Amino acid sequence: MAEEAIKLGGKKKSMFIDKVKQIIPDGGNLNLCLTCGACSSGCPATGLEGMDPRKFLRMAALGMDEELLKSNWAWMCTMCQRCIYVCPMKIDIPQLVFNVRNSWPREGRPKGILGSCDMALKNDTCSAMGATEEDWRFVVEDVAEEVRETQEGFENLQAPMDKVGAEFFLNQNSREPVTEPDEMVPLWKILHLVGADWTYGSKGWAAENYCLFMADNENWKHIVEVKAKAVDDLKCKVWLNTE
Amino acid sequence: MCVAKAICYDDVERESTLTVGSIILASGSQGYDPSKLDFLGYGKYPNVVTSEEFERILSASGPYRGHLCRPLDREEPKKIAWLQCVGSRDTNKCGNGYCSSVCCMYAIKEAMIAKEHVHGELDCVVFNMDIRSFGKDYEKYYLRAKDKDGVRFVKARIHTITEIPETGDLSVRFVNEAGEILEEIFNMVVLSVGLQIPESSKVLAKQLGIELNKYNFVTTDPFAPVITSRPGVYTCGVFQGPKDIPSSVTEASAAACMAGGDLVDARGTETKAIEIPDQQDVAEQTPRIGVFVCNCGINIGGVVNVPKVTEYAGTLPNVVFTDHNLFTCSQDTQDKIKEMIIEHKLNRVVVASCSPKTHEQMFMETLEACGLNRYLFEMANIRNQNSWIHSKSPELATQKAKDLVRMAVARSATLKQLNEKVISVNKQALVIGGGIAGMNAALGLGRQGFKVFLLEKESELGGFSLKLHHTIEGKDVKAYVKELIEQVRANANIEVIINARITDFAGYKGNFTTEVATGDQKQKLDHGIIIIATGAKEYIPIEYSYNEDPRVVTQVQLGDILEEKGAAGLDSVVMIQCVGSRNKENENCSRICCQNAVKNGIAIKKLNPDTNVYVLYRDIRTYGLMEDYYTEARNLGVIFIRFEEDNPPQVEPSSEGMIVKVKDHILQKNLEIRADLVTLSAGMVAEDTTELCGIMKFNRNPEGFFIEAHVKLRPVDMPGEGIFLCGTAHGPKLITEAIAQAQAAASRATTFLSKSHIKLSAITAQVDTEHCVKCLTCVRSCPFEVPVFNTEKQVIEIDDAICHGCGVCASVCPRQTIQLNFYEDNQITSKIDALLAGGM
Repeated sequence: MAEEAIKLGGKKKSMFIDKVKQIIPDGGNLNLCLTCGACSSGCPATGLEGMDPRKFLRMAALGMDEELLKSNWAWMCTMCQRCIYVCPMKIDIPQLVFNVRNSWPREGRPKGILGSCDMALKNDTCSAMGATEEDWRFVVEDVAEEVRETQEGFENLQAPMDKVGAEFFLNQNSREPVTEPDEMVPLWKILHLVGADWTYGSKGWAAENYCLFMADNENWKHIVEVKAKAVDDLKCKVWLNTE
Repeated sequence: MCVAKAICYDDVERESTLTVGSIILASGSQGYDPSKLDFLGYGKYPNVVTSEEFERILSASGPYRGHLCRPLDREEPKKIAWLQCVGSRDTNKCGNGYCSSVCCMYAIKEAMIAKEHVHGELDCVVFNMDIRSFGKDYEKYYLRAKDKDGVRFVKARIHTITEIPETGDLSVRFVNEAGEILEEIFNMVVLSVGLQIPESSKVLAKQLGIELNKYNFVTTDPFAPVITSRPGVYTCGVFQGPKDIPSSVTEASAAACMAGGDLVDARGTETKAIEIPDQQDVAEQTPRIGVFVCNCGINIGGVVNVPKVTEYAGTLPNVVFTDHNLFTCSQDTQDKIKEMIIEHKLNRVVVASCSPKTHEQMFMETLEACGLNRYLFEMANIRNQNSWIHSKSPELATQKAKDLVRMAVARSATLKQLNEKVISVNKQALVIGGGIAGMNAALGLGRQGFKVFLLEKESELGGFSLKLHHTIEGKDVKAYVKELIEQVRANANIEVIINARITDFAGYKGNFTTEVATGDQKQKLDHGIIIIATGAKEYIPIEYSYNEDPRVVTQVQLGDILEEKGAAGLDSVVMIQCVGSRNKENENCSRICCQNAVKNGIAIKKLNPDTNVYVLYRDIRTYGLMEDYYTEARNLGVIFIRFEEDNPPQVEPSSEGMIVKVKDHILQKNLEIRADLVTLSAGMVAEDTTELCGIMKFNRNPEGFFIEAHVKLRPVDMPGEGIFLCGTAHGPKLITEAIAQAQAAASRATTFLSKSHIKLSAITAQVDTEHCVKCLTCVRSCPFEVPVFNTEKQVIEIDDAICHGCGVCASVCPRQTIQLNFYEDNQITSKIDALLAGGM
């Protein structure tokens, strides 16, 4: 059986791509595709679900909104922006993907990301793994203590917490304190050796923001605000986010 | 360093003041520097080179002396990739939104030459978005590369080049149209860099107060392509906009026409004539032959053992001097030949090199400059007819070169001094065709003060342009043509003859006579030159239900509809490209149809943004600055869908509109597009000039377009002297290009008409009237109707001035009483004897 043809032409329909163009700068150049394929040849998600950035944009351009909006591929994009970097027309495919994600009903979005976003909303640590302020303080101090005791040359190493007026406010992905605490140490050592004036915060310390990846605009904004406030409250000059 | 001492290393900058009446800016372009495109690795990976560097690698005077090898290890590559549009068609990384117009063709050329250069197999891949082989016969060249020479063309742009450190090879990942990721490893990658305007030209423009456009090309009007924003200053070549050699040469002549028009009163006042020494009579001398064998870089020297051929030439009878040169046609070699002629008292010269078609005249002038008669010269073509075709058999090619040289030497000993007839030049011009090209050519000549007869077969001037409305830039064609006609009518030097038909033609360069019929009236016009501007028209499609369904129209008809009714009521329009072009019947691209579709697509979208517009194409060829309009069309929402030649769209009528079926090249899925109107981008076909050519004997190609003297270097000259060509009679082109070529033709004609006298070729047929039996075979055989029987004197007469020197009469004469100068019987049989004497 031959696949049914895609029907085009006739009267102009309302299209998803036109709505996205209205809300992003320069319309994201979404109309300008030369179909050269540079995006797809450099995309880590090319081939997944038989899809790639060029096809994804093409579906949008042809007004195939139904297929576009239910494509799981939108969730496979890593938002790395390799596509827009080389695109001769500087087409903002990541923004198209983001807005497709945003069009999904919240409860229908991928469970992992949804769960992580919801968890981060639970308390002001913003930890997608649900790490509390107490857990966080304990792990940091415990690991720092161990380094001071066992590693030569780092007898004075500090991992400051809530140090008001520090130059740098450092975020940390929740994965490290929760599952791989030792992986925090190398960065501490660097900061120690260069003599950086830095601090962690007991609030807003988690570097990840799954609500952003979930295209949950209201909540990713909330999370950014909590983190920004934590930086401001400690009167730090520079916010270092390792994500 | 420089062996020829051509460079003065201690030269210093000097300032001089010149007082001039007009200025022509022809400062050209520079290649785009790709080093800032970090993902291509240029400057980091040694085997990634620019196309300019690759040209040097292929060149005999280049870094590897013409041997194709890669920079890293001087190994001969087995696989090379070309990446198109580096520094062109890119508004993200380099800001050059235009197409550079030349890169597709040079990449194809480089691939073909590279294949010839290597000793084994070479796999060449050209990664491209569109192949833009839009020039005259360029499509045929592309097809030859693709179908015959096996150059692969892949529709893909590369994301990143990565080097394989162990080998220096380069990995290229790309996605094919099926959406599959593929990786190929190349020994070399060539970046096809675009053209851009150098900083120094911007400074120059500023100093002169010349307007530049956003890409820093000179701002010009589509109807005045070489005129800058400042009166008296003209431009041509790439500074005017990206273009190839034929277009640059054409535009150069156009700029000369416009600049010359300002300087009519001063013409000839500061001209310096070349002084030619008196001719010495060598008729009674024993032949003293000098033989110069050419390496032609490595064109000949790479195959033929040139020193051996030279040595062999020295053993031949009457040869008193031999030498071989890297490029025999170069200026320093000419000087050397002159020295040797004098030093060794040479009275015959043989050059073994290329085709006499391109360089014979030049070598003959070298002889004249030493006081030798120009006809004491002979060439052996050891390149086109030898090294190029026997490149895989060097031994045999060397032997054949010896044979060819022996033949040339034998013939040169038989050559005689010949005298050329000097005639006066009639200062009137004939322009055939009263369209935009013909009118511009007539005006160009009229402004220079020459009397012009402008013939138009229809009852009004204007030609095909009368059917057109706007250019892609939005300029009003009808208003322009109206004004042009008024200018032509107002010019006292131009005599317009409408309803004209050429009924008879006679004469020769400088002195033609054409009989023109208008209705029952016939008149004879005397003129010194001819400009052909017979034009072209839109192809009438037999494809896609055209003529069966009123909903299928051509682009010209769509233009009429949009002009009359706008786009109201049009929900959906489908355009189909390459109708009547790029197919089995007509292999060539019609050049103008892509911009036509883009122009009308933009017009529809501007009239009614809700009309869906789909353009089904094979390659979009909006070359040069027209790329911006392609971008604009996409920006306005025009959808472009590529189809393959072997899977064209299908058009079916239905009660709800035309249904167009086509496969989407990206999704690889079938589309069914409902359209109110299907517009065919019908190609351009030449006007029917069969009758005209029957009378005037002009050469046309199989497509009916006239054949210029040299595709690249003489694009407005016909092979016959005093005859010029312009507009769409030469090949499909835009109005702005037709105007430039018309001005160019006027300029070329002016150089001819400015002379008071010209010399005719001495290569003409001579009748031995004493032995002639008046059988009239020559009269019947001459393709130009030159021999006549003089009933009064009872002899056959051949007029030197009108004889073309083709030799047909000499060869058919049953009593051999006709001899063709320079090709007398013994001058030909001497070659055959020499060939057979040598044995193979």
